[in-house]
Amino acid sequence: MKLHYYPGCTLKEKAVALDISTREAMKRLDVELVEPEGWTCCGAEYPLTEEKIVGLAAPIRVLRQVRDEGGEVLVTTCSFCFAVLKRANKALRDDPLKRKRINAFLRDDIQIDPLTKARTTDFEDYNGEVQVLHLLEYLRDRVGTPKIKSRLKRDLKGLAVAPYYGCRLLRPQEEMAFDEPDAPRVFEDFLEAVGCSAVDYAFKQECCGSYLSVSLPDAATEASYRVLRAAQMEGARAVTVTCPLCFYNMDSRQAAIKEKFLDFSGLPVLYFTQILAWALGVDREVLGLGEHAVPADSLFEEVPTTEVRT
Amino acid sequence: MRVKLKAGPEQRTFIDRIEELSGENVFACYQCGRCSAGCPMASEMDLLPNQIIRLVQMGLLEDVLRSKTLFLCASCFTCESRCPKGIDMARVMEAVRHILDPKGKDAFGPGEISPELAKELPQQVMVALCRKFAK
Ligand code: SF4
Ligand code: SF4
Repeated sequence: MKLHYYPGCTLKEKAVALDISTREAMKRLDVELVEPEGWTCCGAEYPLTEEKIVGLAAPIRVLRQVRDEGGEVLVTTCSFCFAVLKRANKALRDDPLKRKRINAFLRDDIQIDPLTKARTTDFEDYNGEVQVLHLLEYLRDRVGTPKIKSRLKRDLKGLAVAPYYGCRLLRPQEEMAFDEPDAPRVFEDFLEAVGCSAVDYAFKQECCGSYLSVSLPDAATEASYRVLRAAQMEGARAVTVTCPLCFYNMDSRQAAIKEKFLDFSGLPVLYFTQILAWALGVDREVLGLGEHAVPADSLFEEVPTTEVRT
Repeated sequence: MRVKLKAGPEQRTFIDRIEELSGENVFACYQCGRCSAGCPMASEMDLLPNQIIRLVQMGLLEDVLRSKTLFLCASCFTCESRCPKGIDMARVMEAVRHILDPKGKDAFGPGEISPELAKELPQQVMVALCRKFAK
């Protein structure tokens, strides 16, 4: 089965591990991911004032392309892409004025086919037709736990993993409609479906410092420390994330965290799709473990690689 | 803090503009402080989120526009999910950033990311940060 998938710019550069593990895992669940032709940046941030409406053009251009290719659903993994695409889509569905203005703006688009050099200048208005889903939602609602379980190839033996939602997946609830912001389950249920045990801890929906890690690194160091430490105190062997920025703040900056907070001894950070791919039998070499600043290899060694009986 | 209140047209315009840009009713806030209690960046801020909104209600634009808080908000929406009055403080912060001197210096622009750092950063953070803090 084919499914539209928007990787976003980071997955082609800094978070290749997230991209590859997503593709490999979905292949094993009979889903072939296709990228919208010539996709462009989603804009990363949803504009929060009524006058920065032009920030909606980038995500809507991506969604319009998916619709024009006949796609009904678009899945993403990066939390930033997901939030912008989902919120922009809802804004166009709900607000006739935004719909009119953005479509008027996008009518000037010209698309040139890289092979045939054919030009497309005629685009139909986009009115929010595509449904934007996070891969966790897709796995829960469209694939389903029984199917995931039936395809497992490795027994993860209840490896204690702390799910980290961060800021973008859950809030604002009215727009994201992803899960209950104060007591989410979707990540926990995913981890249990693939054979891990989900660690419950206090900071799973707190902020890791987000983009402040560039403008104010100390604040992000502290915010990320709070999350990692809380997970470790509850017995987690790893923290798992959906977002390359969460990954950067908690993995790449962990040396800075350890230097500042001496009670913290280090904790691997994994993309949720690395765990999924591993459980489904994907080879260790293609999980992108070389991208990790905090070595995570040992987690993938200790589980026996025998077939799981289902 | 002792403040001298003015209620002239300048104050009224400021408040109206914030409401227009953010789409939030700032007078709905009754100062319960839940936004600040949950804010992950509160310890770094010179004015807490509930103080920002209080100063907006009072039309004290200079104090709001001067605050470091505007550039410490990570738009994490924790305050939004906790406010009993349904106010999205992240939108109020963005509205205030929007009306800061449009010709002024960027609070943070692409030029401040060194080439070495740019090599290490995920692409999304550079786009996000410039969208938030550059003009
Ligand atoms: S949580 Fe809402 S009502 Fe309470 S102080 Fe903050 S903005 Fe005001
Ligand atoms: S959105 Fe901004 S003000 Fe609100 S809790 Fe997050 S950092 Fe604090």
